[in-house]
Amino acid sequence: MNTEPWSWRRNALNLAAVLARWFLSILFLYMGLNKALHPVEFLKLVREYELVQNPLLLNLIAATLPWFEVFCGLLLVAGVAVRGSALMLLLMLVPFTFVVLQRALAIHAALDIPFCAVKFDCGCGTGEIIICRKLIENGVLILLSGWLLMGRGRHLCARYSLMASE
Amino acid sequence: MKGPDTGQSILPDAGDRTTSLRSNPPTGKTQAKKVLWESLLVAVIGSAFAFAANAISPRGLRLTTDYFPGAIRSSRPETTATPLTPSPGNTNVAVPPPANLLAARLQAKGLQLVESHQVTDLFRDPRFEQEVIVFIDARDDQHYQEGHIPGAYQFNHYRAENYLATVMPVCQTAQQIVVYCTGGDCEDSEFAAIFLRDAGIPKEKLFVYAGGITEWNTNGLPVEVGGRKSGNFRPAKP
Repeated sequence: MNTEPWSWRRNALNLAAVLARWFLSILFLYMGLNKALHPVEFLKLVREYELVQNPLLLNLIAATLPWFEVFCGLLLVAGVAVRGSALMLLLMLVPFTFVVLQRALAIHAALDIPFCAVKFDCGCGTGEIIICRKLIENGVLILLSGWLLMGRGRHLCARYSLMASE
Repeated sequence: MKGPDTGQSILPDAGDRTTSLRSNPPTGKTQAKKVLWESLLVAVIGSAFAFAANAISPRGLRLTTDYFPGAIRSSRPETTATPLTPSPGNTNVAVPPPANLLAARLQAKGLQLVESHQVTDLFRDPRFEQEVIVFIDARDDQHYQEGHIPGAYQFNHYRAENYLATVMPVCQTAQQIVVYCTGGDCEDSEFAAIFLRDAGIPKEKLFVYAGGITEWNTNGLPVEVGGRKSGNFRPAKP
């Protein structure tokens, strides 16, 4: 067993990456299932964002997004297509954080209260949130997803990459 | 120590060195391309999974249904948000839109608003017992079971197929139908009323009680717990 300091550091990083992958996967499974099991509540919350007016599009988002999160969570927990899944998480997290921020700013302006005092159900699957805490949480999730996308978290994977040559 | 996935060393650097001895290391561009293809694959399979799961789930949404019929949205984030107050039990406290705005909105949809005292009169009217006057609770099962206006029928329009067979004949014979939900910013009573209107119930019969069960409770009126005509009443608050 290699006891050199650099190998300890590397092993610790590898372990951290695997834990980060599992953390992300469990979080997405939890949030996705929470929404998927209460689709009407999620539909109402999505509607509150006023991003789409078309009923079909609105239903499509509310019906499929939670299950898609569950799917990505399953891939990550098993370690399948890790980088592809991490990229999908980023593609969900970044715009979602942006619209949550926009909504919080609108509430902040409408109620004339301090920004960090804004509290609402963002449809994240975790109930009512305090905006500043939520933004920090999402920032951490984005960083972790980015870390996995860079190629970390490849240990204890069923199939790290779907591409044949890897 | 081996990783179970590739059989390479668990240390990625060592693994990468081994790989690089066998073949040319992939360039960043190639790697990025692979990740993009992989994410596309994840997106396609994930979407198929999501559609299938929604279709199979008994709670799944019907994609072609308009769950918010006649909805007119305006930016009003304050209606569902609350400032963070020191109160530990603080939850979303609904702020109802001004009554005149609500009345105008309902009028635009061909519906009428009923006030608290009118609802109480209708509830005490002998015609209520004869089902000439009918109350419709537009909330979900859980909220209905927890407490509803005594004798009110449940009609959760998000799952209309479960209730239409019971509710439609009653509404067709009734002369006045009072639809309510939680109150505050709850719009489900409006949507349920519009759903009934579109299903063929004359709009002149339909009244929306905007105060909802919250106002009913506040006024200390009796509440029925469990199913309709369960006989299980929560006494009126003093």
